[in-house]
Amino acid sequence: MRSVLLIAWREYRQYIFSRGFLLFLIMFPISVIFVGAVVGFLEHAKPARTYVVVDQTGRFAGAIAEEIEWRWKRSVVSAWDAYVAMVVDERAIEEGLIAEPFAPGTVSRARLRVFFEKGLDAARAAIAPYLSESAPPFVEPRRQFLRLPLPDEVAAAPTVEAAASLLRPYLLDDKRLPGADRPLFAAIIIPEGFSAAKDAPTAEFWSRNLTDTALESAVSSALDYALQREAVAALGFSTDDLEAVASLEGPLASFRPDKEDADAKLSLKDHIETTLPAAMTYMLLVVIFGVGNLLLTNTIEERSNKIVEVLLSSVTANELMLGKLIGIGAVGLTMPTIFVFGGLIATFAAGGGEWTGAAVSALFGSNLLAVYLFYFFCAYVIFAMIFLAIGAMSNSLQDAQSYMGPVMLIVFLPLPFMIMVYQNPNGLIASILTWIPIYTPYAVMMRAVSDPPLWEIVGATALMLAFAAVFVRAMGRIFKSAILQGSPPKARDVWRLLRGDAR
Amino acid sequence: MTEKVLSLDNVVKRFGGFAAVDDLSFSVERGEILGFLGPNGAGKTTTLRMILDIIPPTSGAISVLGSSSAIPVRHRIGYLPEERGLYRKMRAADTIAYFAKLRGVPGRAARKKANDLLERFGLKDFARSKNEALSKGMAQKVQLLSTIAHEPELLILDEPFSGLDPLNQATLEDLIRELKREGRTIIFSTHVMQHAERLCDRFLIIAKGKKRFDGDIKEARASFPPRLIIRTTDNIDRLRHAPGVKRITPIDGAAGAETDYEIGLAPGADPQVVLKAAFEAGIRLSRFEHASATLHDIFVALAGDKGAAELEAPSEEAA
Repeated sequence: MRSVLLIAWREYRQYIFSRGFLLFLIMFPISVIFVGAVVGFLEHAKPARTYVVVDQTGRFAGAIAEEIEWRWKRSVVSAWDAYVAMVVDERAIEEGLIAEPFAPGTVSRARLRVFFEKGLDAARAAIAPYLSESAPPFVEPRRQFLRLPLPDEVAAAPTVEAAASLLRPYLLDDKRLPGADRPLFAAIIIPEGFSAAKDAPTAEFWSRNLTDTALESAVSSALDYALQREAVAALGFSTDDLEAVASLEGPLASFRPDKEDADAKLSLKDHIETTLPAAMTYMLLVVIFGVGNLLLTNTIEERSNKIVEVLLSSVTANELMLGKLIGIGAVGLTMPTIFVFGGLIATFAAGGGEWTGAAVSALFGSNLLAVYLFYFFCAYVIFAMIFLAIGAMSNSLQDAQSYMGPVMLIVFLPLPFMIMVYQNPNGLIASILTWIPIYTPYAVMMRAVSDPPLWEIVGATALMLAFAAVFVRAMGRIFKSAILQGSPPKARDVWRLLRGDAR
Repeated sequence: MTEKVLSLDNVVKRFGGFAAVDDLSFSVERGEILGFLGPNGAGKTTTLRMILDIIPPTSGAISVLGSSSAIPVRHRIGYLPEERGLYRKMRAADTIAYFAKLRGVPGRAARKKANDLLERFGLKDFARSKNEALSKGMAQKVQLLSTIAHEPELLILDEPFSGLDPLNQATLEDLIRELKREGRTIIFSTHVMQHAERLCDRFLIIAKGKKRFDGDIKEARASFPPRLIIRTTDNIDRLRHAPGVKRITPIDGAAGAETDYEIGLAPGADPQVVLKAAFEAGIRLSRFEHASATLHDIFVALAGDKGAAELEAPSEEAA
């Protein structure tokens, strides 16, 4: 066993303590923070996009300005909620010590109205007693859009076409609007007769930038809302009535029939538990793919560099295989483990205490992790042995390519069906995949939290273990027979190698 | 009483219908150096792999250090294969220590031994260098030091001199002698007969999987027909019927009108009788040399098909 652990440790060290891996570990969080900071900075530093409105009806320019203002206010309150969650003592929020509308919550029009009536100074005062000492000040988001006055000749344009023609040079930056220091971003033209009627003329949105749709979306919402207001007014209702109706929400809670009444209501932990299988299956695929490549290149190096014969004079082929499986498997698990724990710590540090607690509880509060690790291990051994055998038959990656195509197809074949298993964990597809030994780990991991029939899981697992025993033995024979052959064996030699006939 | 460190009894290894090793038997005694010689494809590497239990024999028995398999005693064996390499990214000292640890040496002792060996063999300054940065000769040394770092009782060296410059070859020869003085048993295969002749107590020559010779150099020479080299300008046909002469073959070497001939003698024949016959026949000789067979001659003769045939039929008469 000492030899196995020595080999495993060497394999592990080779990758984990390599400069590349350590650099990646250091660079990854730095890159995430850097990218986040740069995106935030650029978003913050981005100048407000300018627009003009040609409203031949005289009814909608105000609605557009209102909608843009409302959206800005909504972004302020959303930023405020995130800020409060981050810098205020969690208990103060849970115990309701922060007065409405300054406590984090749903961003409704009613809340926005009250929030801005009271103002940001009142908001700051409301949270002041509960602020942590090192809390940074709240910085409100900048306004994204700035409306500019129309040039006189455009305002006087008799038709939509004439207005559009006159605005075109401004949009193409051939001309600048008076006082503007940047090109006109967009022009909105609302023609005479614009309404909700089918044969009414359409409003027009002109812009060179077709990818930044934030303003277009705001204009569209503003026009919709304005037309809705006119419609309800025609029916004899007020705007307040419309808002009241629009803000109505039907309370709906989800429950699990397999739990007692007190626990039946779907919690955050339940949501995480149902997402976990997909995450673990995805991780399994990523690890198998990553580890498979490591095993392949590593075995090819030992074979082509003629190290393997020295190794085999010191350890048995089985010890060598086992050491490699353990070492490279540990490499494969290291990165996701670092990311999972790093992610949990980062989420916790960022104020996601509730989420972190639910995730930790979902991971460690049941036997789910043990179940995942068992099937993870089984899948890893089955697929890793394939890569070991291919590595033993190849002197170069080019040699290995001829085997890798079909293998990768087999590895990733269940991927499209996994969505079906996720949505219907006890359906026909799930059952079929469960009984195919090489896919049993994927399928059972996906079904683990859905109470599949016990007999099915036990039977399929027994079949998988029997298959794994035979398969590992067969791949081991290929490894042992092929690894010492001078020239790499051909695909047609696989049967000979399976019989343990080395040349 | 001598102790057998290794013995093979009627060992056969077949790959499909091909017999790579065919009924091979030999033994090695403690403290001796056995030269394991044979042409390419003779079955040397297959035999060594069977000795190390890397591959099993088809039939026959192998005993290594008192065990029927090398696996339980592998920590007492050092093996330097013919085709050998190193982990490119591993440091020289780490490589030696790693293989020593794999062969049972505790971690700290393995690292100390690695550094001691590197210092002794002039590679102290390269202890922290990665193997990919070493010259071919240095890498060869690291491979050899990896083989001996765990102080094995039985050393199996497959072509240990290949890739080494003459200075390093001399260093390795000294090392092998030193290991012998320490009481270690060494089996080494080589194609360089001078090394084998200088170092080995005994030789085993195999060809096509079969044993062709097993003994020391005196026995090899004794079993090899004696020969004379003569140089003359005269016709030597009359010598063909002299007592003890089996064959006469012209060979390259002489300049001008003179010709060199190799005269094969029957075992036990007296060269002086041939000299007397030459005088009596009036043949003028400018060279007369009683040439002992070198290991190279013996190897070529025994390992080649022609030599094997000669060995099997030594009483063939001269033409």
